[in-house]
Amino acid sequence: MVTELAVDHVSVRFALPGATVAAVADVSLRLRPGQCLALVGESGCGKTVLAGALLGFLPGNAQVSGSAVLSDEDGPPLDLLAATDRQLATTVRGRRIGLVPQSPASHLTPVRTARAQLEEAVRAHHPDEPDPRGRANGVAARAGLAPEDLDHYPHELSGGMAQRVATALALVGDPWLIIADEPTTGLDHHLVEGLLEEFRRLVADGHAVLLITHDLAAAQRVADRIAVMYAGRLIEVGPPHTVLDAPGHPYTRGLGDALPDRAFTPVPGMPPLLTDLPPGCSFAPRCDRVVPECAEVPALPLDTEHAVACHRPC
Amino acid sequence: MVDQRTWRPVPRSRLAAASTHLSPRWRLIPSAVVLGVVVLAVLVVPLVVDLDQQLVDLGSANRPPDAAHPFGTDELGRDVLLRCVYALRVSLTVGLVAAVVSSAVGTAVGALAGSVGGWVDRLLMRLVDAVASVPHLLLGIVIVAILRPSLTAVVISIGLTHWLTSARIVRSEVLSLRGRPFVDAAIVGGSSRTRILVRHLLPNVTPQVLLSTTLMIPHAVWHETALSFLGLGLPPHEASIGNMINDAQRSLLTGGWWMSLAPGLALIVVTLAISGLSGVWRDRLNPRRRSELTW
Repeated sequence: MVTELAVDHVSVRFALPGATVAAVADVSLRLRPGQCLALVGESGCGKTVLAGALLGFLPGNAQVSGSAVLSDEDGPPLDLLAATDRQLATTVRGRRIGLVPQSPASHLTPVRTARAQLEEAVRAHHPDEPDPRGRANGVAARAGLAPEDLDHYPHELSGGMAQRVATALALVGDPWLIIADEPTTGLDHHLVEGLLEEFRRLVADGHAVLLITHDLAAAQRVADRIAVMYAGRLIEVGPPHTVLDAPGHPYTRGLGDALPDRAFTPVPGMPPLLTDLPPGCSFAPRCDRVVPECAEVPALPLDTEHAVACHRPC
Repeated sequence: MVDQRTWRPVPRSRLAAASTHLSPRWRLIPSAVVLGVVVLAVLVVPLVVDLDQQLVDLGSANRPPDAAHPFGTDELGRDVLLRCVYALRVSLTVGLVAAVVSSAVGTAVGALAGSVGGWVDRLLMRLVDAVASVPHLLLGIVIVAILRPSLTAVVISIGLTHWLTSARIVRSEVLSLRGRPFVDAAIVGGSSRTRILVRHLLPNVTPQVLLSTTLMIPHAVWHETALSFLGLGLPPHEASIGNMINDAQRSLLTGGWWMSLAPGLALIVVTLAISGLSGVWRDRLNPRRRSELTW
C-alpha cells in the first residue's frame, strides 16, 4: 500500500520553436492516504499538465525537473518523473494511479461497447477474477451506472454516462491515487453528489484523490485541502473553508468574488501567457496590492496548515 | 393544453427515392442477384448435376450454342457452360483465399509499421514501395515459376503481390488513430502496447480491412485468370477461366466465338458484381452518406 506521494519542486516546460512554455513551475505538495486535494485554477494554468507529469504522460517536447516520489510500504520508493515508461505502464498507470480524463467520450474506443472496455480492464488488472462481468457491474455501480448502461457504444452514451464509464474504468485497477480531471463536467446535480460521495468513500478507505476542477463548490464539499494554481504555480494551499472564505492570496480572493452567489465580479485583467511570464510574482500585473517586493517570486511555505505565496497577503 | 395538430409522416415515394441517381439500388440488386446465382451454381451444380466436365465427346465438338449446350461445346466436345461453372468455382475460391491471405499479410505489416513507428515503419514502407515498383504480374510470374504452377502457388503469388494496398491503408489508419484520445486513455490506464494494438487500434480498422479484402477479390480473380492464361496457373486440363480462354484462341480463327465469349463474359460479370457489392458497402461505411440510406 502506498504511504505517500511527495511532489517536490516539479516544473514542466514545453520547448516550442522560438519559445518555452512554463506550464508548471516549482510545484510541491504532499498526498497521504485518506486525503482529498482539490486543485483549482483557471483554464490553462497547468493543472492537467501536472496530472500528466505524475503519470509520465506528456508530449514529446516536455521537459521536467524536480521529483514526485511514490513511497510504498511493499517496495522501494519510485520517482515518477525518473521512472521508465515500462515501469510506469506495469506498476503505476491504472494500478497505483488512476486517471479520470477530461472529455471522457473521446477517451473510449469508439467501436467497442463500454462493457467490453470495462471487462477488458478488469481482466488486465485482475487476471484471476472468476467473474469479470460481475466485477465490471460492481465497479460500474460504484460510478453510478446500471449494468444495462454498459451495453452501449460510446457514441450512444450521453456526456454524463461517458463520464461515469471513464470513472469506472479508473476505479477498476483499485488505484491508490485517483486523479480526476474535471470529473463533474456535464453531470447533473444528483450525479455530482453521487460522484463526490464515491470520492469521499474512497478517501475513507485509505485512497487519495486529486480532484482537478473549476467547481469551487464541489471542491469545498469533498476536499480536505484546496490548492490554488495560477500560471503554473501553487499560490495558496489550505483547508477549504479557510481558502475560500478567508483567502490569503489576492487571486484566491478574486476567484471567490467571481462566484455568482458572492460579488460576481471577475478578476480584472487576463492571465499571463505561459510563454511570457512577468518576472517575479506572475499575478502582480493584475493585483491591486502590489508592493515593490512583488518583483521577487514569493515562496510557498510548506510547513503551515494554510500556506500563501504572497508578499502582502490579504 | 392538448396538442390538436395531427402528425403524419412526410409522404415519400420509395420508387422515386430508388430511381434517383444517388440511390445504390441499381448497383446493389443486380450485383447481389448475379453473385447469388453464381455462388449457388458453383456450390450446387457439381453436387447435383451428373455430368463430367472433363468428358471428351469428339462427336459433338465445336457445336455453337443450342438447347442442349446453351454456351456451345469446345473443340473436345466439352460443355462450355458446365466448364464455366467449374472454372468460376476455382476463380472464386482462389479470389477469396488470396484476398484473405493478402489482407492478413497487409494488415500485419501495416499495423506493425504504424504502431511501432520509427525505423521499423520506414523500413517496412520502403519494402512496400520496392514491391510496388515491380509490375504485379511480373512478380507473380516469378513467384509461380519458383514454386511450380499449382493452386497453392497461385494463391501465394497473389498474396505476395496484393498486400501492399491493405498495408498502406492499415498503416495510415493506425497512425491517425494513435493520436486519438482513447489511445491516450488506454496508455494511462496501464495497457501494454500489444494490448492497445489488439484491443483498441485493430478493432477500429476492421471495417476498412474487410472492405479492402472484398475489393481485392476481383483483383485476385483477374490475376489468377492471367496466370492460367499464360499457362502458369492451373494445369491445362483443369477448368479455369484463363485456361478456357487460352484454349479458345485456336477456335477463334475457325469461327468458334462462343468458346472465348462465354468464359470472358462470366469473368467480367462476376467480378463486376463483386466490386458492385463492395462499392455499395463502401458507400454505407462513408458517414457522410448516412442521410441517403433510403433502402
